[in-house]
Amino acid sequence: MKSRRSVGGRFLIALTFLFLYAPIVLLSVFSFNAGDSSVVWKGFSIDWYVKLFQNRLIMESVYTTLLVSILATVISTVAGTFAAIGLFGLKRRWRSPLMTVGNIPTVNADIVTGVSMCLLFAACFQGWSVFARWLNGVQDVVELPTRLTLGFTTLLLAHIAFDIPYVILNVSPKLRQMDKNLIDAAQDLGCTWMQTFRKVILPEIRPGVVSGALIAFTMSVDDFVISYFTAGSSTSTLAMTIYGMTKKRVSPEINAVSTLLFVTVLALLVLSNVLEARQEKAAQKKLMLQKTTEYHPVKPPRRAPAVTKRVWFRRAVALVSAAALLVVTFALATATSAQRVVNVCSWGEYIDTDLITQFEEETGIRVNYQTVESNETLYSLLKSGGGDYDVIVPSDYMISQLIEEDMLEELDYSQIPNFSLIGEDFKHLPYDPENKYTVPYAWGTLGIIYNTTMVDGEITSWEAMFDEKYAGQVLLINNSRDALGIALMYLGYSVNTTDEEEIRQAYQLLSDANDKGVYQGKVMDEVFQVMEGGNAAIAAYYAGDYLTMLENNEDLAFVVPEEGSNWFVDAMCVLKGARHYDEAMAWINFMASTDSCLANLDFIWYGTANTEAIEQYPAYYAEAYGEELDNETFRIIQTPPETLERCEMYLVLPKETRDLYKDLWLSLGV
Amino acid sequence: MPKELIRLSDCVVKFDDEIILDQLNLYINDREFLTLLGPSGCGKTTTLRIIGGFLAPTSGDVFFDGQRINDLPPNKRQVNTVFQKYALFPHLNVYENVAFGLRIAKVPDGEVHQRVLEMLEIVNLKGFEKRSISALSGGQQQRVAIARALVNRPKVLLLDEPLGALDMRLRKDMQTELKRIQQELGITFVYVTHDQEEALAMSDTVVVMDGGRIQQIGTPEDIYNEPKNAFVADFIGESNIIDGVMRADGVVEIFSRRFQCLDGGFAPDEPVDVVIRPEDVDIVSADEGQLKGTVTQVTFKGVHYDTIVDFYGFKWLIQTTDYCPVDSHIGIKIDPDGIHVMKKSAYSGMFGDYSSYSEEYDEIGDATMAPGEEDSGDEE
Repeated sequence: MKSRRSVGGRFLIALTFLFLYAPIVLLSVFSFNAGDSSVVWKGFSIDWYVKLFQNRLIMESVYTTLLVSILATVISTVAGTFAAIGLFGLKRRWRSPLMTVGNIPTVNADIVTGVSMCLLFAACFQGWSVFARWLNGVQDVVELPTRLTLGFTTLLLAHIAFDIPYVILNVSPKLRQMDKNLIDAAQDLGCTWMQTFRKVILPEIRPGVVSGALIAFTMSVDDFVISYFTAGSSTSTLAMTIYGMTKKRVSPEINAVSTLLFVTVLALLVLSNVLEARQEKAAQKKLMLQKTTEYHPVKPPRRAPAVTKRVWFRRAVALVSAAALLVVTFALATATSAQRVVNVCSWGEYIDTDLITQFEEETGIRVNYQTVESNETLYSLLKSGGGDYDVIVPSDYMISQLIEEDMLEELDYSQIPNFSLIGEDFKHLPYDPENKYTVPYAWGTLGIIYNTTMVDGEITSWEAMFDEKYAGQVLLINNSRDALGIALMYLGYSVNTTDEEEIRQAYQLLSDANDKGVYQGKVMDEVFQVMEGGNAAIAAYYAGDYLTMLENNEDLAFVVPEEGSNWFVDAMCVLKGARHYDEAMAWINFMASTDSCLANLDFIWYGTANTEAIEQYPAYYAEAYGEELDNETFRIIQTPPETLERCEMYLVLPKETRDLYKDLWLSLGV
Repeated sequence: MPKELIRLSDCVVKFDDEIILDQLNLYINDREFLTLLGPSGCGKTTTLRIIGGFLAPTSGDVFFDGQRINDLPPNKRQVNTVFQKYALFPHLNVYENVAFGLRIAKVPDGEVHQRVLEMLEIVNLKGFEKRSISALSGGQQQRVAIARALVNRPKVLLLDEPLGALDMRLRKDMQTELKRIQQELGITFVYVTHDQEEALAMSDTVVVMDGGRIQQIGTPEDIYNEPKNAFVADFIGESNIIDGVMRADGVVEIFSRRFQCLDGGFAPDEPVDVVIRPEDVDIVSADEGQLKGTVTQVTFKGVHYDTIVDFYGFKWLIQTTDYCPVDSHIGIKIDPDGIHVMKKSAYSGMFGDYSSYSEEYDEIGDATMAPGEEDSGDEE
């Protein structure tokens, strides 16, 4: 009976551990996948690790993360320990409420902490700017910068602020366990307060301080939300970079970096445990040894002057190292402002990062490259004042909206000679009719991706998206503009219609199909996993992404339906009041060059507007891969003009139509 | 003429309106063994903490060797303390614990070594240098604590109920030892305890405290033989305290009988408290006695019997070697020097009746009375 129960118990334990560790194991395994899928195993390789160390964005954010975490840990551990001691010394009447108030940040929603810190910093900057302008006005000796922005310093401050409560939480119990008389005893025996702290309190609470520091470090490395709101545009932690990269999907590079992170934390944990065990052992050994041997003083008596000198030396060392820490922090925080910089915000995996290095080498301008996941996020970020960017790469309809709201700066085309290489088809587009604000970055089309083994014959019409025949096999795109757009196109209406009746018809079509169980679910980036794994037959998505999926599943096909489709352009623009206008011009010009466009085209498989690049790409491909570029593939990357004629670009919709979209989308329960 | 070393003048300590010490005036002589004696919460530990520098009086002054030291932190005072629960440093061994103060004072290593070993020898802990604190018994820890304080050669050693956590036998041994150490080193000891026996056995001077006030200061003999009020009489040893009237110098009336005594200087017919120690009463036959009563309870104590006798509804404790059975009628005789007359005080009528004998006796005799209680009472 007993043994049976223990078998059941073991099974439960195994199951628990499986649940706990299966995701991490899976992630680690797929970080060694030769292919770039997270579902299909293509053999063992360490390519992703190699790529990881070559990926500038990730390496830079790893560096930022480590730096901010270490600095925040050190500072918050010191501050938190002293705070805990201070609280401990208070009377209970004050201590309890203060402790409770101090702990609130640990249970507070990160998003609230993040937003409130962002607001606080913004308010401080505002105040500073008023002060600096006044000071610069009344004297000429020092010129204070009038505009401060979110960056490494604010990130560090935020991390210190949210780390401190964790340190206090870990140190306080150790203090409570400590005999309060020890402090009196130490002072009684001649210790100053600092001596008491060093010689008595610290040895007693050391385990709490160490675990507090470890937790603070983990929290810092782990944090995303608070960093997101306080790091500004020039700084990016690892979590932020990973998040930016998942715009498209969880790339194996992320698997690799996460695996490394996991291993590092594991190693730290093991190390601290081993150290502790070894210390205990050593202490025991020492005890045994001491019991058997007599004590012989070895050091000759030291003369008093030497002692005093040593104290001064120690104080000097402490002072110098404190100063050094400050200087390093300050230098790191301001390093960027001493150099020419351009702050770029784009989409995840939307650039060949070698281009950034190349640009920096050629011009000496440092690029802070950030990513956001959607036009809407970018918009709200800009509106909240959180995005201190120079160059952004929004999509067509968002550009019109930004122009409408006077948020873009006109470009100085005399500084962008490469603009002449942009094909005439890509100039004076509806979103920027006079072409004063934009230079196209990449473009593509929306189409149907389908699994040829799961459907009969070829698909040529949007009808497939509503066909009962494929019940449970169709993936609906999870954004209202595209989903309703597809229905509008199928019905033969314009995707930019403002006619409520037409939009309602389109909604009815979707709703009916949904009632019939056509849709498996609403997806954005999950589409990669589902389609690559052959778990759905049909999905509407973007051409460039289809090519990525094709690498992992050869059965997939892509079509721009006969009714026509949406085509979109993402274009580079400069924000109003950008601080690095000239650098921004240089960046735009560089990215518009034929070489850049070729490299980018090859990397992201989205179309380019550079005529030379389009012409040279087949040759470029042949040279790079030693084989002919498949014409079919090229037609998908660079949608031919006759197909493009069927396509329509999204324009910004009036407010009431946008609201209608929103309402209808909410009532469609897929 | 002994030299005055410490003086507390008009010291008041208040915690949130609660008066812990009320206008305390006290001086301590050099090389004196002075004991602060009193029940939990009487302010004795608070007084010690003022001398140690851990607490500043709300008002009043503290002088050390004629210098005002109110604002001098503990680490600058020539005073060391033996704490109630020893407060030894758990992360250091015996040797390092004792050497702690010397190392802080930057005493050269050689001298540290010599002084530590010397001190460990004084407290009979030779050979225990490398032991860890947790491997020591309570008594050994106590000795380490004493050595750790004394090795710094303080002018004054403060001891806060140092024997409170030890068992009876060890307490007795340590009492003798402490006295020996004090005399050997010739330094001032200020000793806090709630154990009157301990106080009487060791001290040169006993300060009896209650309710934040000094009730009496004197030699152990003075305190025992000439208590100033009912509280002192009751707290120190066993006492029968009876209402009396002073009819003339040397004549006191109890239960309407006149007794001869040695006290005088009272107003004619002044109501007084009369203290009669249980051992000062002789039992005689009923018709020979100055007072007659009935035995209600007898307890055998080894050396003597504790006999409770009812006199007109008032119960006395008499310690006698003669056995008187319960319900027997007896008479008593008291010699003039067995009677001590005190002025009436706020404590009159609160003590000295043995009607609830057994519980009270147990409470006072309880050697392991929790020392922690006073701690929390004084500090929080």
